[in-house]
Parts: sequence; C-alpha cells; structure tokens
Amino acid sequence: MKQGPVYTWLDRRLNLKSVERTLLDEPIPGGASWIYVFGSATLFLFLLQAVTGMFLAVYYAPTPDHAYDSIQFIEEQVTFGAFVRGLHHWGASGMVIAIGLHMLQAFLYGAYKPPREVMWMVGVVLFLIVMAFAFTGYLLPWDQTAYWATQIGLNMVGTVPLVGEFLMKVMRGGELLGALTLSRFFAVHVLFLPAILLTLIAAHLFILRRVGPAGPWTDERAALSRETFYPRQVYMDAVVMLAVFAILSSLALLLPFPLTDKANPSDTSFVPVPEWYFLFYYELLKYVHGPLEPLATWVLPMVVILGLFLWPFIDRNPVRNPIKRPVALVSGLLFLLVVFALLGLSLKNLYAVPRVDPALARGHALFAQFGCVGCHRIHGEGAAIGPDLSYVGDTRPERAWHVKHFRDPQSVSPGSFMPKFPLDDKQLNDLTSYILSLKRTP
Amino acid sequence: MSEHSEIPAEGGDHTPVGSRRRFFCWVTRVAAGLVGLGLAIPLAGYVISPALKRRAQSWVEVGQLDTLQEGEPTQLDYVTIARDGYMEAKTQKAVWAVKHPDGAVTVFAPLCTHLGCGYHWDATDRRFKCPCHGSVYDVTGEVVAGPAPRALDRLPTKIEAGRLLVMYKEFKSGQKLPVEL
Repeated sequence: MKQGPVYTWLDRRLNLKSVERTLLDEPIPGGASWIYVFGSATLFLFLLQAVTGMFLAVYYAPTPDHAYDSIQFIEEQVTFGAFVRGLHHWGASGMVIAIGLHMLQAFLYGAYKPPREVMWMVGVVLFLIVMAFAFTGYLLPWDQTAYWATQIGLNMVGTVPLVGEFLMKVMRGGELLGALTLSRFFAVHVLFLPAILLTLIAAHLFILRRVGPAGPWTDERAALSRETFYPRQVYMDAVVMLAVFAILSSLALLLPFPLTDKANPSDTSFVPVPEWYFLFYYELLKYVHGPLEPLATWVLPMVVILGLFLWPFIDRNPVRNPIKRPVALVSGLLFLLVVFALLGLSLKNLYAVPRVDPALARGHALFAQFGCVGCHRIHGEGAAIGPDLSYVGDTRPERAWHVKHFRDPQSVSPGSFMPKFPLDDKQLNDLTSYILSLKRTP
Repeated sequence: MSEHSEIPAEGGDHTPVGSRRRFFCWVTRVAAGLVGLGLAIPLAGYVISPALKRRAQSWVEVGQLDTLQEGEPTQLDYVTIARDGYMEAKTQKAVWAVKHPDGAVTVFAPLCTHLGCGYHWDATDRRFKCPCHGSVYDVTGEVVAGPAPRALDRLPTKIEAGRLLVMYKEFKSGQKLPVEL
C-alpha cells in the first residue's frame, strides 16, 4: 500500500513507523485465529456504545419531568432516532455476550494462569463495570420497567447486612427513587463509569502487550506457526466487527424496543422484568425465601464475584490444556449449567406462549366499534374522561362485576355517567373478556 | 498500514506476504469503511434532523374583527402552544393588525425588519417606530426612515365568522426581501 504525503510528512516529525511496528507486528504465538476475536469484538462494542451513547445524550434530558418524553422524542421525531437507540440497546446485550465469550475463551485456554493473573483480574472488574453500566442505563428511559426494575435492584442492595440500608440510600440519593436518583444514575452512566472503564481497558491492553497473548495451550502448538498481529488477525477482527455491526443494525431496524408506560411511582402493582442477562438471577430469587433470602441477594453473588476475581489463585494447576484440567473444567461447566438452566426456566415462565382466546379479538373490536376510547384511555390512547383502563384486569378482576356494569353502569357504580350500550349476551362476554385481559402480565 | 510489512517482521515467518497480504488488508479496509458509513450516515441524520424540520404552521385565532378600529393599528396578544422538542410550551405572541375600509385586515409580524426588535405604534405621529435603531414605518408598513431594509412583514390572514385568524411566521432580519425562517 502506498503511504499518503500527509502520513510521510507526519512520520518525519513524529516517527510513526516505529509506533506502527509496535502496534501491528506483535507476534501471535501459534498464528492468528478466529478464537481470539472476542476481545476485539468487546472493545468494538464498547466503542459503539460510547458513540451511540454520546449521540443519545444530544436529546436526552435526565430529569423525571422530561426523561421519558425526550426518549419518546428520539424514538418518534428524530431521524434515525429509533435506530441509534436500538443500536445502544442491542449493543448492551451484545457486549454482555461478547464479554461472556471472551471470558469463556480465556478460561478454556487457561489464559488466566501465570503470568496473566492480573490481566484476568482486571478483566473481571471490567465485566463488573459493564454490569454497572447495564444497571444504571436501565433506569434512564424512566418508564415503568425502568423504574420498578431499579427499585428492586436497590432493595436488593438494601439486604446487605449493616451497610446495606445506607448504601441503598446513597445509590438512590435519599429516601425516594426520584429526581436525585435519575441524575446520579445518569452521571454515573455517562461520566464516572466511562472514565473508570477507559482506564481499566487501557490497563488490560497494557498488560496484554507486556506479557503477550497466551496463544495455544501447549508450547508445541505455539511453536507451529509464528505470525504477526497484522494483517491476518486484524482482518479476522475486522470481519467479526462488521458481522457484529450487521447483526446489531438488523436488530435495531427489525425489532423496535418501545417504551412501556411512563414511570408511575404510585402504581405498585407493576411487575418489571429485568434484562435477559439478569434473568437467571431473577429466577434464582424466586426459589429462595425467608431467612435464606440474603443468601441469594448478596452472599452468593459476592462468593461468585470473589471466586471469579481470585480464580487464578484458586486454580493453581499450571497446565493450560483443558483436557488435563478436569476439576476446573467441570466447575466452570457446572457454573454455566446452573446459569443457563435458570435463564431457560425464567424465559420459559416469561414467554410461555399464552393461548389466544378469540373472544379477546371480538371484544377488542366491540371496544373500537362503540367508541370506548372517546372516554377511556388505554396506554396513553383515548380520552381521560372515564377511568384509565390500561390495567383494569388487575385492578378489577371480577367478571361478574363487569358484566353487570356493562348492562347497567349505574347499578354497580352509582353516579357514573357511562351510557348503557346495546350489547347481547355474547357481546357482553366478549367485551368483558377483552377488558379482563388488560393486565400487566398476560 | 505500511509498505514495511512486505518484509515479515522477525519472528513472523508465517505472516502472509504479497497478494495474500494485500487481500487481508483490503478486506480490513472494506469492513472498516462499511461500519464507518453505516454509522456516519444515520448519526449525521440524527444530529441534523431538527435543523431540517419546518415549524408546524397553523391558523391561530388572534381576536374578534369588531374590536379593530378602521385605520388604527391594534396590537393583538394571543397565547399559542409551541412544541419545543419534547416539551410543549405556552408562548405569548403579539401581532399588529390594521382594518381597512373594505373590511380586509392587514397583519404585520411584530418584529422590525432591521434586526428583529419589537416596534410600537405611535398614535400621534401615526407611525410604527422601532426603539432600537430608529426605523420608522407608515401605517401600510412601508419604510419611512431609519436603517430598515424592507417594509414590515405581512402575515397570512383569514376571517371566519368575524374572527381574525393568522398564520404566524418569522422572517430573517436585515434582508432586502422577506425570507421566511
């Protein structure tokens, strides 16, 4: 490749060639491989999160008054707004997956063993920082899911003995989940955490260059091929980055991620569902009750995190070949098995396909036909003259009441000015089925 | 990435050279270019979009026709709801209306065409006067004195059942011809 005159000019002054050599001619023991791409994929995803995050901040307002509206504005009014937010949303998931695969690779290849213990430990902290990003970012849209999921997360911090209560209040910025919580979560998400993350990424990469990549797990294999980082490993990394970008773009374009209703602190019956990467933990909490609860809320996570962090000192077997490390391999496998079993259970419970009752569709049609939205609002649509029906199936679940009410509203709700509608028995039942289906969880 | 790389570095005896090397380099560049474009285009649109959006214009009632005196400019105040990004703000606007003998009404935008100050009607001199730099207009809006480059800007009006409706607009100041903002 020819070098441009600008590069030559700069090179004469800054001596760039030697930097280029240092960066690109790093030897990869055993040669370039597709198995080494996860670290750069993670780095790429971080950069993508940083860029899309900066652009989201162009319109986002971190106050309870405006947060929800500003995100809705991004979704509906800003050109490519839904796409940029979609990239950021799916990018977060992508990052968790990429880190997971990166750690799995490092684990399988024994890349945490001497002299790379510190690189592994910094990596574990990086993983925790990413989880902190996920937790703080989740609140920012200020919709019902965001609000109640954060409420639960904070309450879990509160179960830590002695300091929990205080820690929770510090994180929340006082007694209430509100304006102060949102602004500190915002500041942490966009200023503090990025600063910490960048520093630790620099440390992680610095250590990588000081000790070199681990390469294959035996010296014989490492000696088979000697190759520099550029061009083949760079090419593999670039192809994977392009693939990751293509997947995220497709998800952002094809799977819109709408907001739920605006956060409503007085609506205590909302059942939030955490992001999929916290689901295994959410499922675990369902099985542990009473005095054992702190065990699940903080003892177990603490043990797992400390175990991960100190893993290079727990597993002292110097061999890196996974076949010769049955104990480490089995314990890793068990850990993954438990996590994925819990995730699977949780997904099964959450997304078990509900049988669709044809009466619901007929009832919905009646609701439209009689112009019920003229007075009633469902998820922000319709007038606010009569009661909001978004969750009427939760607030008033009795079928008989609704049937009676539709026949003669004043008979059960004296003083109501809702008119009587000419409905036959079948229509009455259909409409009632539809009304009862208006719940938080189907 | 540079020419130096035609010679594999020490310890890199399996590093690709020649056309194989050029292929990897080419793919890397294409991938980087695609990701770059895939981001640059949406992000540019994302930032630029508010600049390209025209203000939504609609007819607003500013007053009753019978409150206007023939040939006497009257300032009409009205409140409109303006969308300000994700917020809705109530803003107060004022326009100057002059009724003609034939019942038609001329409505002037409330800002001086020189630099956009608010002017007022001097009933004794029968002139619109701008306090900032001394521009003076007659009752038809034509410039009589001062630095104003053009006559007062006229707003579209319509009369419905005795009510005066106006489509509010703003114009660039300092131009010879009115340029709508």
